Amino acid sequence: MMFTIGIDVGGTYTDLVAIDDHGKIVFGKSPSTPADQSIGVMAGLDELARRLKLTRAEMLASTNRIVHGTTVATNALLERKGAKVALLTTEGHRDVIEMREGLKDNRYDLRSPPPEPLVPRHFRFGVKERLKANGEVAIPLDDHSLVEAIAAIKRSGATSVAVCFLHAYLNPIHELAAVERLTRELPGVSVSRSSDVLPQIKEYERVSTTIVNAYVGPLVRRYLTTLEQRLAEAGFKGSLFIILSHGGMAPVEEASRLAAGTVLSGPAGGISGGRRCADILDLPNLVPFDMGGTSTDISLISDGAASLSADGMLAGQRIALRSLDIASIAAGGGSIASVDAGGTLQVGPESAGSVPGPACYGNGGEAATVTDANIVLGYLDAGAFMGGKRPLDAAAAAAAVERVAASLGLSLQQAAAGISRIINLKMADGIRLMTLRRGVDPRRFALLSFGGAAGVHAVEVARELEIKRIIVPIAASVLSAWGMLTCDLRYEVSRTYYGTGKRISPEEVRDIFAGLEQQAAGRLRSWFGGPIAVQRSAEMRYGEQVFEIDVSLDGLGWDDPSLVDQIEDRFHRRHEELYTYASRDQEVVFVNARVAAVGEVPQTGQAEKLAPSTLACAPRSTRKAFFGEWIDVPVYALDDLGHGHAFAGPAIVEAETTTVVIGAQDRLTVNALGWLDIAVG
Amino acid sequence: MSLNISAKIDPITRSVVQHRLSSIVKEMGEAMLRTSYSQILNSSRDFSLAICDTGGRLIAQADHLPVHVGALPWATLAVEQRFKDVAPGDVILLNDPDYGGSHLPDLTAFVPVFADGKRLLWTVVRAHQSDIGGATHGAYNPGATEIWQEGLRVPPIKLYEAGRPREDLLDLLALNVRNPREFRGDLAAMLGAAHLGERGVAKLFGEFSAPVVEAAIEAILDATEQQTRAVVSTWKDGVFHGEAFLDDDGHGRSDIRIAAKVTKKGSDIEVDLSSSDPQSTSFVNSSHANMQAAVAMAFAYLIDAEIPKNTGALRPLKVIATQGTIVWADSGRPVTLCTSHPSNEIVEAIIKAMSASCPERAMAGWSRRFRIAIQGENPRTGRPFIWHLFQARPGGGASSGGDGYSSIGEWHSAGGLKFGSIEVAEVRFPLHFRQHEFREGSGGDGQFRGGLGVALDLVLETEKPAKGNTAGDGARHGPCGMLGGEDGAPHHYRLLSEGREPRVLLTKEVGIELRPGDCLEIRSSGGGGWGPPGKRSALARQRDREQGLTAPDAPAGRGAQ
Repeated sequence: MMFTIGIDVGGTYTDLVAIDDHGKIVFGKSPSTPADQSIGVMAGLDELARRLKLTRAEMLASTNRIVHGTTVATNALLERKGAKVALLTTEGHRDVIEMREGLKDNRYDLRSPPPEPLVPRHFRFGVKERLKANGEVAIPLDDHSLVEAIAAIKRSGATSVAVCFLHAYLNPIHELAAVERLTRELPGVSVSRSSDVLPQIKEYERVSTTIVNAYVGPLVRRYLTTLEQRLAEAGFKGSLFIILSHGGMAPVEEASRLAAGTVLSGPAGGISGGRRCADILDLPNLVPFDMGGTSTDISLISDGAASLSADGMLAGQRIALRSLDIASIAAGGGSIASVDAGGTLQVGPESAGSVPGPACYGNGGEAATVTDANIVLGYLDAGAFMGGKRPLDAAAAAAAVERVAASLGLSLQQAAAGISRIINLKMADGIRLMTLRRGVDPRRFALLSFGGAAGVHAVEVARELEIKRIIVPIAASVLSAWGMLTCDLRYEVSRTYYGTGKRISPEEVRDIFAGLEQQAAGRLRSWFGGPIAVQRSAEMRYGEQVFEIDVSLDGLGWDDPSLVDQIEDRFHRRHEELYTYASRDQEVVFVNARVAAVGEVPQTGQAEKLAPSTLACAPRSTRKAFFGEWIDVPVYALDDLGHGHAFAGPAIVEAETTTVVIGAQDRLTVNALGWLDIAVG
Repeated sequence: MSLNISAKIDPITRSVVQHRLSSIVKEMGEAMLRTSYSQILNSSRDFSLAICDTGGRLIAQADHLPVHVGALPWATLAVEQRFKDVAPGDVILLNDPDYGGSHLPDLTAFVPVFADGKRLLWTVVRAHQSDIGGATHGAYNPGATEIWQEGLRVPPIKLYEAGRPREDLLDLLALNVRNPREFRGDLAAMLGAAHLGERGVAKLFGEFSAPVVEAAIEAILDATEQQTRAVVSTWKDGVFHGEAFLDDDGHGRSDIRIAAKVTKKGSDIEVDLSSSDPQSTSFVNSSHANMQAAVAMAFAYLIDAEIPKNTGALRPLKVIATQGTIVWADSGRPVTLCTSHPSNEIVEAIIKAMSASCPERAMAGWSRRFRIAIQGENPRTGRPFIWHLFQARPGGGASSGGDGYSSIGEWHSAGGLKFGSIEVAEVRFPLHFRQHEFREGSGGDGQFRGGLGVALDLVLETEKPAKGNTAGDGARHGPCGMLGGEDGAPHHYRLLSEGREPRVLLTKEVGIELRPGDCLEIRSSGGGGWGPPGKRSALARQRDREQGLTAPDAPAGRGAQ
């Protein structure tokens, strides 16, 4: 018996899933250990082994693959706990990151001081060198100025260096020479080179991404190396793979090299889970909706594939590596309701977090949160929270919501319903922007509800968007770890095409892609012996536009002389999908070519189908809840529901970690996997 | 009356409608940003989106360029006056200052939204065109003495009738601008955004019914007014004076004074600009709508950033001005510079006056705009090119909240103008950005230091001579220090040309002869300081030294190479 194990380290819990050759799945959970996540991981493996009735060593000895999502890079950025970084850059251009392209977030706020850059000005060093816009050397790299800069870096005490020269995306000659000198003179210092991290035009994006890489790199490398060691000591002889922000996985060495590409490693698992759900249910258009306590992650699975974007921003830092397209909304069950000076009800952006938490937690939180409103409305049962292990204070919830009601001149129930309505609207807004901005109609999608707070709000959010179907997978609480089991290996490369104003020729297109394919497939081959698929895409724009659109080039007639016409046609069509118009008479500029080599990992086993339930489908109890009016609502236990059970709302379904609310117009069916499938009326 | 209606709407419905309207304008902005054609729009974001009602009231807007927003109601009123017969599918366009336009390059498109056969709202898109005809490219014509020299004047016209484009009018417009292709692309983007908004608002009407949405809008405006008054009433009452100066008008007049007398009583503010200097013969005049917008902008900066910027927020504000003055020129006068100058001076005069009423809110001076455009032939393509300076963003003012932003912009843009990538600029234009770094020592000293401007050395890599134009102000008057803080360093641009004496560029020049290899030595201004320099902490001073922020301006006379 061989296992594959998925491990997702979250803020509170580390989730683990093991799958065997027959597709049998076992879950494990253990508290996360933020100071050294590998401790929690090892404890989780103990737990998992126990559930498999094996010793940890036995289990690991028969595990061929561990797939891991980590939040080490994410946390380092959010908490500003990364390495001390110095920047080596072209003389006369050392303020690029602090200039932020001249932009400021809140247009009407002229009294907040500017954000602190990751690398302060006195750690940014200019070197005499310059390339022309076509990549030719204008000023050779000056040895003396390089030596001086390296000496200054040494004095600064920086442990990690970002190297980014202008136009190095076309010609890395000076960056390579500088890196060679740096590694020689400052052994042990970590180095990130822009022509390696993101060989693409636009200096702000490149320098910012390279700096982030330098900032999180040493921590990610240290963590992954430690984890690898611990696993080896515990008897693991298989391969350890890390999920990257683009949703594919890569070996430890690659994840350490491109550490900036791991900042979305955590949520990437959830999207893989979503993709797997789409596959199992044959439901190719899904909106994964992961609503938690303080934030909600929304993404998109369209035609079975998750969309990627290079617009990423995390903790105020621009990261232009291609990543899964995830919209994170700072709102969730812990969002605080308040009334502003104009008498308008606001929900968020402040959150009660987990400390003190919603008023009902009884930890001294006074503010009314979404969770408190849900208790007032009867959606959540204060006594049954976390399977009754952690009862909530319903009176405290009511008192907090009552304060909001009083300042609005509304009844308790009206205020609670208002809070619920506003948060639903915010969630719907997030989904609307995510879908419409990408040229897709949300009504064609089903909502995949997971995360602790999603189930209470999913049907109303869906109704707001005219979404007709909601799926609640049984593995909802460990969806990320489960999704990791199905990740493929992925290596991406890109190249900027330096045009001379003329239209790109079919030969040039073929040349660029042939080179990239060789590079990508070659690299992947060194990690992986299985079949490799290649995905091609290009970023293009109309002549004077500055935003490029990512266009898939798969399935074109590559040998056809009309290749460029076909490519441009794809671009026009995509532009029209996204922005309602195409300008077919306008010049199209080819900017970046991208190739992803994908190593397809064999999938073990099928999802287990359940026999139709022979038990009656009956609620365990009823309770008063607000569905436009107060009514006695049947409350079902998820554990009692089986394949084939079905009923109409209003109803509430309770499980240990989540509650699902369905309205009077909605109908719930339990499918052959034991998942909830809700038709929204 | 409005209070009666709004009393009928419950606060929850109101919140829901407000939320929806603001997400609609956000979506419009997103579409505009990603689809517009010219750099001034897609990169520099010189556009604004709004929803107005048929009474010209601003209902919702997206935070783009503050200086556009307060002007849109006046344009909407002009459209209402001109057309009584608006049908679904119509699109109306205008730019003229006699009809609520700010200046000719800003085209404004209006799409009506109907509910139950009744026209209720407009979605509005205002966007700065890279050219609008006239004597010079890009409309900034320091030589202009009448508006006809500044470009094509467009009164309210129907560009679409019941969904059908008036191709003849489109051709007329496109024929009158220098870059018809770009123009058509930008116009398509504007209309796309306006229609996207129309669909969103129509859906809102469909869901809630028109009477409910209308009542909710009244309630939203009332609530915003209440919120604004709550802030204003905490400020000190009194009559306060402030003034600011334009360097010159390029036609012989200098130190043109903009004077603000602000009377603050309770929750009301009256801004009286009528003792400002007489109008000019040149383009430094303000149009009426732009003057209104500048006053609204100053007010918006003083109240809380979170308060929605709609008509309700402006109800406590009364504006008095006299036609024929620099802030409100007679019809036919040139006005192109007005969205930056005298807008920036109007804002500065008002904020200075208010520093005696709400000192913690009055920020030190943000910078003024000094633009350069270069026109020549690109030797790599053999094609003509036109380049506008958006780099070298000047510094922002300090405030009670801390030091100012460096490389951020002017009062009227305030961090809303994105300068493009230098790598992309070097690929597209025959230009070499030899240096583009903070201009050390340019921020005004104070308890909190003004943000830094930028030092840019720009070398021309053409094979043939090119022409340069400048337009702007602020080479004599730096951004003002506030409450004891010092002024920021003013702009200082020079032309370094082999075989010619280095010379200081004036802010309003036409036809500057630029030779291959010439270097434009651009030093943009720093922001003003806030509070007495003596109060600056030792730690902050040490940090300034360590980071090289306060060192004197390095001599940059390396000459043309």
